[in-house]
Amino acid sequence: MAGARDVKRRIKSVDNTRQITRTMELVATSKLKRATDRVYAARPYAEALRDVVGSLYAPGMSEKYPILRQPAQVKRVAVLLLTANRGLAGAYNANLIKEARNLLEDLRRKGMETELHIAGKKGIAFFRFRGEEMMTQRVDIGDSPTVEDAESLVGPIRDRFEAGHVDAVYVVGSDFRSAVSAPPAARELLPIRPKENAASADTFILSPAGDHILERILPLYVRNAVFTALVENVAAEQGARRTAMKNATDNAGEMLELLTRSYNRARQAQITQEIAEIVGGSAALE
Amino acid sequence: MADKVLNVRVVSPQKVVFQDAAASVVAPAWDGHLGILPGHAPMLALLGAGSLAVDLPGGGSRSFQIGGGVLKVEGTEVTVLTEHAGDELPADLLAGFVIHPEDVA
Repeated sequence: MAGARDVKRRIKSVDNTRQITRTMELVATSKLKRATDRVYAARPYAEALRDVVGSLYAPGMSEKYPILRQPAQVKRVAVLLLTANRGLAGAYNANLIKEARNLLEDLRRKGMETELHIAGKKGIAFFRFRGEEMMTQRVDIGDSPTVEDAESLVGPIRDRFEAGHVDAVYVVGSDFRSAVSAPPAARELLPIRPKENAASADTFILSPAGDHILERILPLYVRNAVFTALVENVAAEQGARRTAMKNATDNAGEMLELLTRSYNRARQAQITQEIAEIVGGSAALE
Repeated sequence: MADKVLNVRVVSPQKVVFQDAAASVVAPAWDGHLGILPGHAPMLALLGAGSLAVDLPGGGSRSFQIGGGVLKVEGTEVTVLTEHAGDELPADLLAGFVIHPEDVA
């Protein structure tokens, strides 16, 4: 009977797949650990920087410094989409792309021009397929993004904002809450909104004057916002991949169980039939 | 002047480099070295590049090469936010953080 042999071949193939997905799950788990550590290690700097900027920022400075300009009317918006270079991470990339598409659609409906800057092969591949023009295409940012990566990514966009070519900049990335919850989020990077009831810096000795400090610090602030977004994205990607691979491994296990059962049944049926044939044969001789 | 120690944090974008009590701090501010002792008035200062020295309460000191960023004093809390902190600073980065007084005067 051919059934048993076919089932055995399938068992072998499913077992191989399970081994691969399990390995990928383990790799993602260890990378996730490191990526999460980096996310948490990067947070004190971001918080302290936000605090300093908040206490220095006074209304009225926006006329003096291009990076603080508050466009009255937003004509053109830059969207920076951060995706992964690799797939096999469940809906991770698809979710980010969907978030970016919603944002773009929303902005266009309001009559704004948009321009796309994308990091990550997955995002680039999607928007190339859709025939969208992309101003930046970056695939060289790896699993441990550096401050330099962030600077090279956001520097040109920041310059365009300061020069008045774009009036707002959004970053679409993952909001890393935990290993299992990292929803996509679109965050406004520029213009920098003055905080309401911000703690005033009046009580501080400022050296040099507050607006000069701010002028130096704000580019760092913008860059650091992108840096933390990159770091969070890596952690979210590994988290998504671990979940996806765990599910795949579990599914393969279930399938193996079913296949093993039908293999045993087929084998038994074959034996039973052989016995029946022998018994039938000897009965015919008597 | 009630407190005799400072709580110093040196933070870079990647991590908290140093966090401990200190007797004093000497930081490379944009216009020269800046000394902080316990009881210092609240302050925000722009940093240049150079060596940051932290004197520990029990004697001894730690030093870091830092580049760029800002120093904040508030009560006994001293926070050094710097783009780079380590044992040494690459020469090309050092040049990037030199601030000319006429730029910010």
